[in-house]
Amino acid sequence: MTWRPTALNVSFLTVVGWALFLAVLTGRAELAVVAVPAVVALVVGRRTAPPPAWHLHRELSDRRLLEDECVSVTVTLRAEGPLPLVELLEPLPPRVDLARGRHHAFFTLPAGGEIRWTFELRGAGRQHLRLEGPHLRVWGPLGLAAAETQHRAPATVAVYPRHVPIRYLPYPLRTQTFVGNYVSPTQGEGIEPGDIRPFAPGDQVRHVNWRATLKLGTLHVTQHHRERNADVVILLDTLSEVGPDGETVVDAAVRGAAALAAAYLARKDRVGLIEYGGQPRWVRPGAGRAHLERLLESLLSASVVFTYVNRDLDLVPPRILPPQALVVALSPLLDRRFVRAAADLAARGFDLLVIAVSPVPPARAAARRSAVLDVAARLWTLERRAELDQYRRRGLTIVEWDGAEPLDAVLAAFSRRSHRRVLAG
Amino acid sequence: MMRLAALVLLAVLAALPLAVRPSTPPVIWLATVALVVGGVGVLAWSVPLVTAAGSLVVIAYALALVVAGPAADALLAIALGATLVLLLAIVHLGGRVRGAFLGPSVIAAQARQWLAVVGAGVVAAVGLTAAAAPLGGALRGASLPVVVIGAALGAVLTVAGVITLMAREGSPRSDP
Repeated sequence: MTWRPTALNVSFLTVVGWALFLAVLTGRAELAVVAVPAVVALVVGRRTAPPPAWHLHRELSDRRLLEDECVSVTVTLRAEGPLPLVELLEPLPPRVDLARGRHHAFFTLPAGGEIRWTFELRGAGRQHLRLEGPHLRVWGPLGLAAAETQHRAPATVAVYPRHVPIRYLPYPLRTQTFVGNYVSPTQGEGIEPGDIRPFAPGDQVRHVNWRATLKLGTLHVTQHHRERNADVVILLDTLSEVGPDGETVVDAAVRGAAALAAAYLARKDRVGLIEYGGQPRWVRPGAGRAHLERLLESLLSASVVFTYVNRDLDLVPPRILPPQALVVALSPLLDRRFVRAAADLAARGFDLLVIAVSPVPPARAAARRSAVLDVAARLWTLERRAELDQYRRRGLTIVEWDGAEPLDAVLAAFSRRSHRRVLAG
Repeated sequence: MMRLAALVLLAVLAALPLAVRPSTPPVIWLATVALVVGGVGVLAWSVPLVTAAGSLVVIAYALALVVAGPAADALLAIALGATLVLLLAIVHLGGRVRGAFLGPSVIAAQARQWLAVVGAGVVAAVGLTAAAAPLGGALRGASLPVVVIGAALGAVLTVAGVITLMAREGSPRSDP
């Protein structure tokens, strides 16, 4: 850290110059006297010795957040010598708001003194919030000299997409072999009562149905349905994007995907993710809390990547897209390539549900409000409705979602429970 | 609070040229313009505007001295110089800390520092004035061009010395 004169020196020099110039011009000694305090200040203000040593430590309260949650930043500064005026500034990255306190502060420290400075940041959108480290500036007397540096301590906070709980999840058509929450049609160990059949050697006494036994005169047992889990693959469309930064249709789809992933994982299902875009990426189906973090981490970097290379879902290995999985696609259905891929999956017998995220509200939010915009938005909505009907006639199951209302409400209204009973174990 | 202190100092600064009696309309006008420009500068925490106002006050003071031609009054000149330094320092700090968190005792520590520096300036000015009195007596017989050349040389050397000191430390930089 080295001292550098500030722009205030120019102001002092201007005043000194005027006073001395006018003193000479008028021959009045008082004007030269006017310049003396400013000249003394300029001389006193220059610094030669380096600023005293200091130690800075920054601490973050959390390294993982959901959107709109806050992280507390605590900066501790200790000076070995006196610091009459020290300035600290933590630059805010884009899409980060100040929730509490200030990210810019001034302190006075005596020799050996220590200060603790705390403020809270709120992640306004999913991102890897990167804080490089606070800038530190030590000011000399009257602000005529300053020495500055940056305390390099890069820290990253993962701001995951926020997800609201979903109660009404689309039921899968097929279940897997692991224990879960879906009632399987196959008989075995379970809670849900199934058929009644005559007693056979090996049956447990606790399964004897005494009422049927008394009525029929021979021992009968109650069979139970197995509870099984399912494989769910979330297919995220990142081929196209509409809307203002942080509120795009991809952001809405990502929030929906996060909510679905959390809800299915809470039901002991295995959840996978395929990001279908310029650079397809995927996460193998898995279960558990750690897997949710894996999925959220992957969703964090979901974005539109432009490429001329047209990749197909055939490239996706079967272990990523199991044949009996429920595929939930989240897409604005703006890109024909995604529509073709979805139709292809449905044709191959996949249990597919498309959640069509409407691009109209984000597009309206990105443009200035006007009567023409309202008419255009209405026309677009009508065109989209007709288009979605056309896709439905081609065999796609589509649910419309505007991205703003809770996904749970949309899925609750979509009553597939009656005809989406589990068909096979 | 800092803004109020700066406005008070500005009012005192603008009133100082009017203390040279008798006041003439050009001096009053210049002081008024300085007050307006400085007021805008204080409200906007703009150091350049306050510097302009300070320069206008110095010009008004010079004009008042030339027009009224009073006897030498070093106290008024020292007060003007000290007020100017304080005003510039306060406005500079006010602009820097705008919107920032201020730790405890920052303002008090700064005020102590300013008063110490200004006090040193006042002492230096009083000392120089006292030293200049016998020198003035010695130079009473000197012809005017010699005095003017000597004074101009002194002024140029003072400014050049300050610029050299600054240049040795590095180029001036803008504040945040």
